Amino acid sequence: MSKADEEKKSYASVFLLAVALLLVTSVWIVWDDQISRRPWKKYQYEFSQTQIERAKAEVSAEEERLGADEEYQKVLADLEAARDKTTSGATASQLSELASKENKARVAFDDAEFNLRLVKSQIEEAWYELEHAQLAHADTTSQRAHLDELNAKKAEVEEEVAETLARLNQILSEQDEIRSVVDSLEKKKEELEGAKSRLEQKVDGMVIQVGPFDFPKIPKIEQVVLNEFDRNAYNQPVARVDRCTSCHAGINKDGFEDLPNPYKTHPDRRLYLGKHAAEKVGCTPCHQGQGAAVNSAEQAHGHVKYWLDPMYEGDNVQASCIGCHADVRMDAAEKIALGEKLFEQVGCIGCHLVEGYGDLPKIGPYLGRISAKVDADWLVDWVKNPHEYRPRTKMPNFYFDGDEAEAIAGYLLSASADESEAWLGEHDLPSGIDSGNAALVAEGERLVDSLGCRGCHGLAPGESPALLGEGKDIAPNLSNIAEKTNARWAYHWVKDPRGYSPVARMPSLRLSDQEAKAIVSYLMTLGEAATDDSATRARLLEADNVVIGEALVRKYGCAGCHNVPGMESESRIGVELSVFGSKPLEELFFGNRTDIPHTWEDWTFNKINEPRIYETERIEQVMPHFALAESDIDAILTFLASRQEGYVPKEYRPSDYDNEVTLVEGRRVIERYNCVGCHVVSGRGGAILAHYEENPTLGPPILTGEGAKVQANWLYGFLQRPVPLRPWLEVRMPTFGLSDEETAAIVNYFAAEEKIDNPYVHVDLASLSPEYVEAGELLASDDYFSCWTCHQQGDRKPEGPKEGWAPDLAMAYERLNPNWIVDWIKDPQALMPGSRMPSFYDFTDDSPDGPDDVLGGSDLEQVKALRDYILTLHAPTGAVAQPAVATDAEESAPEPAEMPSEETAAADSSAASEAQG
Amino acid sequence: MLNRIDRLARVAVVVAAAALVSATSSFAYEGGAVSGGGTIKGMVKLNGTAPEPEVLDVNKDKKVCAVTEKKSNELVVGSNGGIRYAVVSLTNISKGKAFPEGESVLDQEGCEYLPYVTVVAQDHELVIKNSDGILHNIHTYSEKNKPVNRAQPKFKKKIKETFSEPEMIKVTCDVHGWMRGWVAVADHPYYAVTDENGAFELTDVPAGDYEIKVWQEKLGESTQKVSVPGGGEATVTFELAQK
Repeated sequence: MSKADEEKKSYASVFLLAVALLLVTSVWIVWDDQISRRPWKKYQYEFSQTQIERAKAEVSAEEERLGADEEYQKVLADLEAARDKTTSGATASQLSELASKENKARVAFDDAEFNLRLVKSQIEEAWYELEHAQLAHADTTSQRAHLDELNAKKAEVEEEVAETLARLNQILSEQDEIRSVVDSLEKKKEELEGAKSRLEQKVDGMVIQVGPFDFPKIPKIEQVVLNEFDRNAYNQPVARVDRCTSCHAGINKDGFEDLPNPYKTHPDRRLYLGKHAAEKVGCTPCHQGQGAAVNSAEQAHGHVKYWLDPMYEGDNVQASCIGCHADVRMDAAEKIALGEKLFEQVGCIGCHLVEGYGDLPKIGPYLGRISAKVDADWLVDWVKNPHEYRPRTKMPNFYFDGDEAEAIAGYLLSASADESEAWLGEHDLPSGIDSGNAALVAEGERLVDSLGCRGCHGLAPGESPALLGEGKDIAPNLSNIAEKTNARWAYHWVKDPRGYSPVARMPSLRLSDQEAKAIVSYLMTLGEAATDDSATRARLLEADNVVIGEALVRKYGCAGCHNVPGMESESRIGVELSVFGSKPLEELFFGNRTDIPHTWEDWTFNKINEPRIYETERIEQVMPHFALAESDIDAILTFLASRQEGYVPKEYRPSDYDNEVTLVEGRRVIERYNCVGCHVVSGRGGAILAHYEENPTLGPPILTGEGAKVQANWLYGFLQRPVPLRPWLEVRMPTFGLSDEETAAIVNYFAAEEKIDNPYVHVDLASLSPEYVEAGELLASDDYFSCWTCHQQGDRKPEGPKEGWAPDLAMAYERLNPNWIVDWIKDPQALMPGSRMPSFYDFTDDSPDGPDDVLGGSDLEQVKALRDYILTLHAPTGAVAQPAVATDAEESAPEPAEMPSEETAAADSSAASEAQG
Repeated sequence: MLNRIDRLARVAVVVAAAALVSATSSFAYEGGAVSGGGTIKGMVKLNGTAPEPEVLDVNKDKKVCAVTEKKSNELVVGSNGGIRYAVVSLTNISKGKAFPEGESVLDQEGCEYLPYVTVVAQDHELVIKNSDGILHNIHTYSEKNKPVNRAQPKFKKKIKETFSEPEMIKVTCDVHGWMRGWVAVADHPYYAVTDENGAFELTDVPAGDYEIKVWQEKLGESTQKVSVPGGGEATVTFELAQK
């Protein structure tokens, strides 16, 4: 191509193309940066629009309401009329006349005031002249005269100021009077329009106003920064950033419950966001996901590869509760609470170590003397499939075949033979147990019904007073107990469970020999009695069989739940689950299963539901089948999901975390011994009370609020060695043989429940006012409240049948918290609704209820006097101060000494009264 | 300014209260003079054989309580088959005679509630007397009204209690387990307790059609329709059977 051609060639089209490309690219860049990669803008914009629309609708609804409101319309009309009146006619001319008068008066007042200021400065000057002359030792007569003259003038001018001011005020008030009609109407109008103007302000806060138009605000990233919430790879604290509300703009606003996600209000906003301020805690600490991501919902929700914490689905979000709270038995955390309870109590902890749950006692019965306890034929059947004998037992099914079951039974009988022999040697079959004696059997049944056995045990097939989750019994159902064991064992067991098993959870009911014989006679009628098992025993005890059995017992980890003789040092056989919730999908073995969706939830659910489901020809699995209800599996799954790597820093945990730990530790003991089978504790439990609907006062006492009621030292002693408190009860508080640690855990639990820091009390009887004690005695007597009509005092028993009696007041000194006594007498129904104790006073009004001739008729002083008197009832002689010799009338009625607990435990008493109030 | 707001607030409260009263007045009973009203007379009978009333075990404070033998009042049947202590009332009356003057009294005498069934108008005071001079307590088992359990020691000859919701309330004494009585909280004056022959009478009923109900603690409830002629008399007979 020649040069000339080159010069002639036009590049216009190329430039045009390039410019067009550049333009398109620029537009695309802006589009992509501002719109495509900012999906949250659209959500926020749409939400804003809806929000504004709704707020405006509220404004117009309010306007409409005002339009129809007669009062408002009348105010408007009156106001207009009043205004008209002030702008025309006689009133108007009066006003303008007043206005000119006001002007004149103001000028006169200003002049007078100016004069006053002038005179004041002249006085200052005169003082200066006078002092100057004094310092120069000159004659000061003229200066003093001048000063006096000025002072006189000042008084004159002051008077003038007052006069002119009074006149001005007079005119002003005349004006005000005329205008006051308008003013008051205006105020009223403003007030009636209050709701409307508040709504209008709300709209103003939402929009950008441009002239007559308004627009939704420009969307921006909304974020919460949680300082030092996470740890990086070097274990240094780093912040977490949650931007969830950039899209979920309505999540913390009421009134958008009807919208779809991401606009809608949190489904339980008051509870969850009320307790956890969203602006501090953000969203991902509960919901998981990738809080900082805003490019797409998938990214933000953590549903992307290699993000380890995708959002929890549904109720599984409760897995997060336990990350911050030690105690999850609370509102709206039922699922995680159930999951934790099941995990602890069904037996998972026997094979799987989980940090924080490693030291709990084994859940299965003691097998050290099993040979003395069970029928050999029964044992083989039981090992083979326990669910056949007891569908709701916690013992799982290991799918053993007949030979395996025989081998395991053989080992257990053989390994426990010596111990069993020794035990049997000391525990003969007593005479007098007779299941054929109808009267004895009936007596046994009556005892079982009335002593409290039914708080834990079901006696008819399928009956269960104490369910664990949906389908597990806490204590065995006894409807077929005769098949399993024999009268000899049962007799010694019910008399002293710890005498057979050092780890027995079954308590002693302190049965007499005769009671135990009757009970066992009855129990042995339940189910078909076992037949002679000596042939089976001999077969099982063959050496070969026992050796095979030992290997199986070891392989299947029986020692995880049971104390198996010879296997005291076996460790857990299952994998550790401490961080199972963080386990990536890649590490979960699905075997050959292609029908199960590859998610953590599906894997886990199916594993618990059918433990051998992922078994292949090469990979054997040994986990047994628990036959749990689906809802229970789901709850355990939620608990497992909560087992995450990392931990929540202390400052993000509840402020009363330590109190929660105390509650958890206490509750473990309370549940281990199933105290809640009989007692309502913290508002839960008390299954046995179903048998006392006719007369609830004959059932075991309700223990909600016990921490504020009794003295810790007394409760500790009572738990270790219970004594009958309520002689009218047939149901018997058993002796559990609690260890010191267990007892303390229960005592601390009740204190923690009432948030009492120091539950100990000492009553110093010497500090009680003798006058108050005397007054209390008088009040308690038959002349006034007749307390002894129902209450006992030591050996002094009330008239009538026992079921009409009330507790022994002589125990109050050792047992009751003095503050509680006051609260109780003040209003028993408030502390225990339905109590038979009537209220003698009504503190909801000021009118006195007590007798007016005791302690000046003061109700509160009388209650204190009753307390003081009750506390002395068990006092050692001489512990109470004798009435002092009164020297004058005032001293004869001193203030009662404050209870020591009120002084020394000021902190806890306020907490206690709060809890009781 | 503050004064003015205060005044306005007070006005608002009065207006709101008035609005509330007018809104609920359609449900509340309106009492006044009735002219040309009729009478409902009738009887409550037991269908079946009368059981022998249980003799109560008076096991406490016998000097005061065991003066006479006590029998259960749960189901008292007269020689003519009439049931005593049944409560008869109209269920759908909103306007009629005024509540009778005078107070309703429940006495505790000889460790018995006298009368066994006391009728008290809602929101009116029930005077509870203790004529025995020993400790009693009034323990009510109510669902619509808040249950109360108040002691009435000997020095308190009289206490008062009001009930705001119409309801049949069982009353017991925890000191004396056999004591038992009933309080009928009435929302209008057309309530009657049957006498020893099972008879009852409701007077000054404005002419019209009504539903009439009987309640008996053991036998439950039953209703009938009744037409009351002006100045005339209507007769109603209830027959209740043992369940």
